[in-house]
Amino acid sequence: MNLSFFVVLSLSGVFLSALISFISAKGQGHRAVVTLLALSTGLGAFSSAAFLLSGQSQLTITQSAWLFGTPFVLSVLSALFFFLLNTVACLASVYAMKYVEQYTEVYNVRVLDGLMAIFVLGMQGVLLAGTPFGFLVFWEIMSLSSFFLVMADKEAASVRAALFYLIMTHLGAGAILAGFMILSNGSLLESFTRLAILAQHLPPSTLFGVFLLFLFGFGSKAGLVPFHVWLPEAHPQAPSHISALMSGVMLKMALYGFLVMTFTVLPIGSSTAALIVIALGLLSAVYGVIYAVIERDVKRVLAFSSIENMGIIFTMLGVAMLTQSQGMSAFSHVALGAALLFAIAHAFFKSGLFMGAGVMVHAAHSRSLEVMGGLSKRMPAFSGAMLILALAAAALPPFSAFMAEWTFVQNLVANLSTMSPFIQGVLVLVLVTMALVGGLALFAMIKLFGIGFLAEPRSEHVAHAKAPGKLIAIPIYLLAACSVLVGLLAPAILRTIGYGDLTVNYDLHTNIVLGGGSMNPGKLLALLVATFFLVLLLRRVLSNVKHEREYHTWDCGQPITPGMEFTATAFSASIRFFFRVITRTKKNVITTPIIASNPWIASRTFSLELRQIWYDDLYVPIQNACLWTSTQVRKLQNGVIQFYIALIFIALVVTLAIAL
Amino acid sequence: MNSFLLTLVQFIAVILVAPFVTGLVRMCKARFQGRHGASPFLPYITYATLLKKQMVISKSTSWVFRLVPFVVLATTLFLVCVLPLLVFGGAFVSLGHFMIVAGVLALGAAFLVMGGLESASAFGGMGASREMTLASLVEPAMIATFATFSIVTGAFTVDAMFANAHILTSPALIPAIAALIMVALAENARYPVDNPATHLELTMVHEAMVLEYSGPYLAMLEYASAVKLTIFSLLVANILFPMTLAVDATLVAILITIAYMIVKVIVVSFLLALLESLIAKMRFYRMQEYMTIAFFFALAGLVFALIHITL
Amino acid sequence: MSFPKLLKRLFLGPRVTEKQESFLKTDKEFEAVGAELKSIVQSLYGGRSLRIRAVDGGSTNAEENELTALSNAYYDIDRFGLSFVASPRHADMVWVTGCVTRNLERAVKTTYEAAPEPCIVVAIGDGACTGGIWKDSYAVVGALENVIPVHIKIPGDPPTPTQILRGVLNALKQSSSKS
Repeated sequence: MNLSFFVVLSLSGVFLSALISFISAKGQGHRAVVTLLALSTGLGAFSSAAFLLSGQSQLTITQSAWLFGTPFVLSVLSALFFFLLNTVACLASVYAMKYVEQYTEVYNVRVLDGLMAIFVLGMQGVLLAGTPFGFLVFWEIMSLSSFFLVMADKEAASVRAALFYLIMTHLGAGAILAGFMILSNGSLLESFTRLAILAQHLPPSTLFGVFLLFLFGFGSKAGLVPFHVWLPEAHPQAPSHISALMSGVMLKMALYGFLVMTFTVLPIGSSTAALIVIALGLLSAVYGVIYAVIERDVKRVLAFSSIENMGIIFTMLGVAMLTQSQGMSAFSHVALGAALLFAIAHAFFKSGLFMGAGVMVHAAHSRSLEVMGGLSKRMPAFSGAMLILALAAAALPPFSAFMAEWTFVQNLVANLSTMSPFIQGVLVLVLVTMALVGGLALFAMIKLFGIGFLAEPRSEHVAHAKAPGKLIAIPIYLLAACSVLVGLLAPAILRTIGYGDLTVNYDLHTNIVLGGGSMNPGKLLALLVATFFLVLLLRRVLSNVKHEREYHTWDCGQPITPGMEFTATAFSASIRFFFRVITRTKKNVITTPIIASNPWIASRTFSLELRQIWYDDLYVPIQNACLWTSTQVRKLQNGVIQFYIALIFIALVVTLAIAL
Repeated sequence: MNSFLLTLVQFIAVILVAPFVTGLVRMCKARFQGRHGASPFLPYITYATLLKKQMVISKSTSWVFRLVPFVVLATTLFLVCVLPLLVFGGAFVSLGHFMIVAGVLALGAAFLVMGGLESASAFGGMGASREMTLASLVEPAMIATFATFSIVTGAFTVDAMFANAHILTSPALIPAIAALIMVALAENARYPVDNPATHLELTMVHEAMVLEYSGPYLAMLEYASAVKLTIFSLLVANILFPMTLAVDATLVAILITIAYMIVKVIVVSFLLALLESLIAKMRFYRMQEYMTIAFFFALAGLVFALIHITL
Repeated sequence: MSFPKLLKRLFLGPRVTEKQESFLKTDKEFEAVGAELKSIVQSLYGGRSLRIRAVDGGSTNAEENELTALSNAYYDIDRFGLSFVASPRHADMVWVTGCVTRNLERAVKTTYEAAPEPCIVVAIGDGACTGGIWKDSYAVVGALENVIPVHIKIPGDPPTPTQILRGVLNALKQSSSKS
């Protein structure tokens, strides 16, 4: 019995669960569907893990007769992403079982489950497809199903976000299609390997054009600034387990596509291409993290944090490309490895945080952080898991993302002195920007946890919140455990990625050696835990543990209410102020006098407008230009049939003239 | 065995001397104000008193509030284990990688901030917000400083960096050390970033976060900040005089390094008190200027180091 | 004055904080009280660190002026191991001034309750001791005793810093004899 059988079984299971969901009667079959989905994705996760550990470099799943003979193969790279996808999808399905049942009035459960299965299937297909055709078909399945999932609650805001997402994702898909067309000279049925050979013969300028198309196509899906505008709108609108899948895994599909195209199919690019990637990556990281700090909607904070994380990953990839083009393959490999490690870490902590956000939103009946608080007292175990996830997302030791940043920064600094001054300048910029982003990411995550979970509840709903059920909480616990484990096993993971040929013209047979000995997360964690227990011991020995009393918070003599607590807005005020050039937030204070004779007695309303500069300054002008053009074109629509016939004739002549 | 012994000596010496450093700074400041001032050994007694006192825990708080003092103190003790404070080549120097040091400092700051937020009062939140801002803005300067040291010395652990940093042969270290001092002041909530002696909640940073803590927990937090101050005092002194650190665990070497340590903390405490008496606290909303200056010092060091190496 | 000279004077020269021998006649008492206090705090807490939270229960601010004087360079209570702190959670003593007004009654009460035990309450000034000239006013509660248990009263309107320190000494004597 070989592994490919299990992969096929997993795919069929997912497909079957979609089918069952659509044919089952209303209000029934939900549990069966998600159970089947969880089982089949779990199987997928195990088979890809087994493949990764087996040390093989390629696994042919099937040479299917359908889809025009698209081969289904699993390489080390796609197996890695396949594993992430299936693990997260499995946990999301378990989470969905009870989570969706809380919202039966809001969502059409049958459709939601079915679409989720199709969404997962689409992503599985993207990873397995060996030709541009198969890739694009599954890419579309993934995009369309997620489009419907975004507007699952049928609210006006969701529909608007979903349509925005649809436009952006199709512009991206169009760019990817165009890129494939240029590369393969019109045939979409060549395999990627063949495409790589064809690409060798294309002139550099064409290749650069193709690269830009791919960068836009995959970058818009990955949420790179300035193509990110849809992401903070669409991700939060979806149900939380779908947000987890979209942020945790769908962004990785874009990353996977970009990796395959730029590192496997296209020959080693120029340093210009790499610099563009680095620039976009850094821009996304900085922009994303600043908005993650100042946003007050819990799911939008996470969405912006995803933009930031994807920015960091693309920066690492850009550095890998840059150093590869400079012939420093050792550092390039490490940068790529760090990017992949970060992607793994991100898949776990971000999906965990999104699922946790679902619990928070359910407790508060709102997505606003301003009405949360006090959850850690009401759901201690769950808040513990969320604390771990938040610290992991903030790239703090000893958690997963820290290991990736550590590997990267370490090697960057180690190689800095051997490069040309220009590259040095770029890398120094990368280094300090990543440090700033790291600091601000910590700010964003502590804000999320501190305002959302600590102190007194800021609304009635939260005050009466109950701890989440086991089935909802366990996937989050597992993801928190994964974040710790990925941190602990980071060296092993980096070595595993390096087993097979990661890509065609690129292999990662490299040892991960860090200065002052090898990277040893186990020792780090052990020493941290040891000092913690030392403190615990000293406390027990030196002071009386029971000698305490409960009293309300010291209030300076005036009773304090939850309304006086620091809010998310207040907490991030300083960052908003320091980065006001970028955020350009607008503060509105409206003063209305209560007594006409005395201007000092007045009621004041304060509101803070968070502006999206990219949306306002880039997208709105484009939108207006489109509208204006359409208005001009509409003038042709005068209702006279002769005129239309004349138009068709002119169009035909022009087309023929161009074509011949 | 040798390295374990060295680390043990460093650990015990630093945790014993830490309250003295805080007390000494306070005494020097009192002298600068023309006062007699309390004995430098007062903090020992204060902590002992606090350990015996009752704790009053706010009803608004949860388990995080209780976790905070332990984590904050544990992270500072972690740093005492891994950094070259009294000795070179301790048992855990491989964990003294600069990314880990920066990360563990940030971890401690993050927990302190959560402790501040837990109190559910506006003061705690205000202090938390400020501390978080400082902790996140100090990060680029800190990483750039350490990167400079790393490039100059070719090492990645703070231990090896300090052992190989020869300030006379590498002038790039001078701006880096200036940046390190500015980072140290910000990390320890001293002037011009924070006023450690203030009683006004509206101007507090560090103090505002611990307002809700009492008894042993307060002792732990104050002790942690004392240890942190000692760590940074010794670090700044050691980068200038690396020859004062012991490398092997003979009795003579240990005694000499402890004597050096006492001299170093006295000198640094005096200079810190002098600095705090000479300058005023900056407005909090001008803190990004301070951080930018620190960052550009560090960046200048980095650029000089790269030019120095390339030439 | 040159800077080294200034430093020399600050550290080695005569201090504003008067030494016992050069102290004014009346304030010899202050030093003596301080020394005795030191020993009592030592026996009470196994050390000589005592942290004070001062609460204004509606005073005329005369007492506050005297409290401020306690920490100036002349009196400098820091040297006896006493210091003012920002939160009752950190305090070993609560010092209350003024006749407790109705508006501040709750403030005084919660401050006392918020402080960890053992906590010594000191009523400073005539207002806090008896209600002073406002005693039977509708706007005041009167003496501090009516609100929280008081360990020692320091009369005077306002009491001088020396009197305050002596009063504190008595407070400690009282509470050590109790235990």
